[in-house]
Amino acid sequence: MFRFTLASVRGHLVRFLLTAFSVMLGVSFVAGTFILRDSIDTTLDGLFASASKGVDVVVRGSGETSAIVTGAPRGTVPLALQATLASVPGVARVVPDFQGTAILAGKDGIAVGTGGAPALGFAFRTDDPSFTLVHGRGPTGPGEVAVESVTLAKADLHVGDSTTAVIAGQAHPVTITGEVTFGALFGATAVLVDEATARTAFAPDGTVSTFSITAEPGVTQQALRQSVAAVLPATDEAVTGAAMTAENKSSVAAGLGYLTTFLLAFAGVALFVGSFIIVNTFSMLVAQRTRELALVRAVGASRGQVVRSVLTEAVVIGVVGSALGLGLGLAIAAGAKSLVRVALGTDIVAALPVHPATVLWSVAVGTIVTVGSAVLPARRASRISPVAAMRDDATPPARSLRRRGVVGLAFLAVGAVLLTVSVTRDSPSWPGAAVAAVLAVVGMLVAAPLAARPVVTAVTWPFVALTGVIGRLARQSALRVPRRTAATASALMIGLALVTGVSVIAQSVKASVADVLARELTSDFVLRGASSAGIPASIGPAAAGLPQVQSVTRTSVVGVTVDDVAASAVVTSAAGLADNIVITMRSGPLTALAGDTVLVNQTTATAHGWTVGSVVTAAVGTLTAHRLTIGGVFQDSQALGTEFVVDRSLYDQAVPVSARSDRGVYVRAAPGADLGLLRSQLVTLAKPFLIVSVEDGQEYSDSTAASVDTLLNLLYVLLLFSVIVAVLGIINTLALSIVERTREIGLLRAVGLRRRQLSGVITVEAIATALFGAVLGCLLGLGLGIAMQRGLRSQGLDQLAIPWTTIVTVLVASVVVGVLAAALPSARAVRLDILRAISTEA
Amino acid sequence: MARLIDSPIGTPAPAPALATDRVTPPAPSVIAAAIGLSKIYGTGDATVTALDDVSVEFARGRLTAIMGPSGSGKSTLMHCMAALDSPTSGRVIIDGVDISGLKDSGLTTLRRDRLGFVFQAYNLVPTLTAQENITLPIDIAGATLDRPWFDTVVDTLGIRDRLSHRPSELSGGQQQRVACARALVSRPAIIFADEPTGNLDSRASAEILGFLRRSVDEFGQTIVMVTHDPSAAAFADRVLFLADGRIVDELDDPTADRVLERMRGFELGGRS
Ligand SMILES: Nc1ncnc2c1ncn2[C@@H]1O[C@H](COP(=O)(O)OP(=O)(O)OP(=O)(O)O)[C@@H](O)[C@H]1O
Ligand SMILES: [Mg+2]
Repeated sequence: MFRFTLASVRGHLVRFLLTAFSVMLGVSFVAGTFILRDSIDTTLDGLFASASKGVDVVVRGSGETSAIVTGAPRGTVPLALQATLASVPGVARVVPDFQGTAILAGKDGIAVGTGGAPALGFAFRTDDPSFTLVHGRGPTGPGEVAVESVTLAKADLHVGDSTTAVIAGQAHPVTITGEVTFGALFGATAVLVDEATARTAFAPDGTVSTFSITAEPGVTQQALRQSVAAVLPATDEAVTGAAMTAENKSSVAAGLGYLTTFLLAFAGVALFVGSFIIVNTFSMLVAQRTRELALVRAVGASRGQVVRSVLTEAVVIGVVGSALGLGLGLAIAAGAKSLVRVALGTDIVAALPVHPATVLWSVAVGTIVTVGSAVLPARRASRISPVAAMRDDATPPARSLRRRGVVGLAFLAVGAVLLTVSVTRDSPSWPGAAVAAVLAVVGMLVAAPLAARPVVTAVTWPFVALTGVIGRLARQSALRVPRRTAATASALMIGLALVTGVSVIAQSVKASVADVLARELTSDFVLRGASSAGIPASIGPAAAGLPQVQSVTRTSVVGVTVDDVAASAVVTSAAGLADNIVITMRSGPLTALAGDTVLVNQTTATAHGWTVGSVVTAAVGTLTAHRLTIGGVFQDSQALGTEFVVDRSLYDQAVPVSARSDRGVYVRAAPGADLGLLRSQLVTLAKPFLIVSVEDGQEYSDSTAASVDTLLNLLYVLLLFSVIVAVLGIINTLALSIVERTREIGLLRAVGLRRRQLSGVITVEAIATALFGAVLGCLLGLGLGIAMQRGLRSQGLDQLAIPWTTIVTVLVASVVVGVLAAALPSARAVRLDILRAISTEA
Repeated sequence: MARLIDSPIGTPAPAPALATDRVTPPAPSVIAAAIGLSKIYGTGDATVTALDDVSVEFARGRLTAIMGPSGSGKSTLMHCMAALDSPTSGRVIIDGVDISGLKDSGLTTLRRDRLGFVFQAYNLVPTLTAQENITLPIDIAGATLDRPWFDTVVDTLGIRDRLSHRPSELSGGQQQRVACARALVSRPAIIFADEPTGNLDSRASAEILGFLRRSVDEFGQTIVMVTHDPSAAAFADRVLFLADGRIVDELDDPTADRVLERMRGFELGGRS
């Protein structure tokens, strides 16, 4: 029986390869994700190890470990502590870690892009082991800098060149004296200044975030940590270098974990889509081999043997497809690696390790999906009676679609109702909505064959009208086995439903943002920083000093934690606020904002029973157990998007000066001001700071929308995989159905169908299948997207926008997909020898 | 285009223009001819000579039967004549057109407009109804259906009440009648039928054959038909006997008995 299986694989090599191909695509995504994750992991290990080289103990201020999450910076340690630390027995060297932002202007005068990563500034010390001077010399005075290699290359500058650097918010003309290399910076740029400059720029208040301490030979990190801790004030802490590395790594690893899960979800979609194709392929293979299988049964093979034979074939396809997928995954990881290199200008990934676990997972996932998909067709194969071998037209009779349709529609209806109920409640129930969405998708998949007739008839209508018999032949072929057409189309449906759903959300987000900004933003200009460095603190006051300016509002962000509420509070001051941002007060005046008196939003106030005058104990930035008074309650605001508004004086108290920056500067022009002139004045003001942009309300709204588009495009690229798998499915199904229809094609050609007409028939059939999938996908995506928007209404997604352009694009693209998918099968079909085709054993 | 003369179907083809171009100019009543037709399959030791220098003419408006033992080259001859296969050497002339000079698209047009086929099995497109199958060549050509002629054909074949059925809902005999209707409805110059009754019982066979006969007598259709059955051959005006790729004998106005007699003669002759 195994020989029979092998012979059957060999006999249908093309189908075998096409099926293996769809397994391959799904698996490649899984494998690529694993490989990339492992390699980033390995790189991180090396990176953090090299960054903490020679650092045995780190001294730092108090604060939460997960500063990244809450945005709360740690407290700083006074520079004066250095002498104390140096006198601790076992300490060989104490280095204050001067660090802040330093933005370098490239050759073109524009800031070197970081892609959202920080622009870092450090002090240059010859004995600092975390970097190496590779060219030139270190900076020795205020007008000199050394620049990290990748940053230098991105700036298109060389050692000896002069440029501008914005160091801790101050623009300086500088000369590049040297080039250094770091382990890896993940896209961040690095500029080094001499220690004296670093001290004034990065520690203006006489404090630094950390001291790095090196032990004398023979002193362990643990021992040193204890002796250092003994001399520290209670607010500061000492940690070992090893602990610091682990801490840094785990916070990055957490982010990496999300990324991996995210990518695997898309891999899952691609595999799910692939499983449809595999089911379809095996169903068709079994249908085509009915006579062959019946013959095997007639000569004495048991049903079990038939099942095993088909499943063995599935195992072979699964293993081969998975192995190929592993290879492709490696290629994808390599591609992603070079993409990252191009984007960040740095090789974050050293090598691409293929761990045994990756191989195991990939092969297991691929094989299990393939074999799982083949189980039903295999069982169907085993039910073929030996008598079928004797019959002339040995195709299994078409089963009625009624039961399937009823079940599918019932699922769909229950899902739709449940979804509507879940998302229209006051507080949407997301688990309920998820279950409902799954029900609806499953219902759609099950009921799809029922939709085949009306939808295919409708979408082929123009072709029938234009080409007559060609269109009709194509329509009939597509409708011959509705289950098969539906399964083929379903693969595309899933991918396109996600595309449509995601784009409904994105479009709604854009519309909602634009709406909120139109309603709540009343300033004439908005200044924004392009990187996490934000806007230098000096710009706001300078803007306020311009003659035509009525008022300026500066905002910053600080972490505020009260009981269970961990919020990123907006920092601003009451003066001029009402000119620029509309805040509707429910109780208390806006002007209550001052000192330790804060404003809280309606939802949070209600939930905690806070009213004007309530006093709460909160952690604000580096301040712990700080008492805050509620001065006012404001209506939840999308523009602010926060629970708390705190005063700038509190911010200054809670955040060390080196960590302070503005997020946004809002400028309201005086009545009758010349806006064009004001803009040019603001631009002149912002220009030296390189990465501060000046936008009016519309531009601000547009650029916010553009950032949504960036994310959207990323999602589209990821979804492209499942669409490619779906296209392969269409090719596969067409190719198989052409094999099945060989005699019919011969007959059509014999009675005078031209080659071009024949390929027309096949192309229209492919287009019909693709459009069928696209129509169902768009409908499903619209349904889910709209439901999601309804559910998120209270979260600020209050505008529903239907992405018509995307929908039209999807439909047009699916026609193109159909044409592309038909190319190969129709090339094969037109080459069929008429005589041989007619005399083929069907 | 290797079109030598223009001859509307159903009218006698004028011969003069052919004289300069042809080795053996066919008589005016000839609608299809093979001249020195050979077909050799395979290469080296495995060569099979399916047709060996066959020259034959088929007269307009007549039913010709081709008989011969299995493997004698009957189907090969039909395929070469019907532009489904290309001969190794020799020429085929259909309705005044030398088809050996035609490319695929010319051949396709020729098959579509001038030739009709009835095969032993699998004559119909399973997804189309009987009516759609019958009008298929006309639909493909984008031509308009000659409605009265369609009605005549359908009524003569007695398949009017089956027109909306799909092939899977028809009996073998009914399917074959639909195939005959398809071959006839475009009024081809000649119809080739390879064992059209090979899958049918004697009653269904007789119906089909009777119909082919009537279409020759009443509509002037030309038909060439391969059969193994002497009683089927008896419906023909003329029987050609093929053996080892050569025409070895022929018989005009055959009866079943005379055909049987000739066949026995070959068998005896073959054995001695
Ligand atoms: N495609 C082919 N390749 C090789 N040999 C072939 C091919 N087609 C036919 N033959 C050979 O050509 C010879 C004539 O075949 P053909 O099909 O014309 O016979 P036939 O008279 O129609 O027989 P039957 O009565 O069995 O249908 C046979 O010996 C056959 O084996
Ligand atoms: Mg034959």
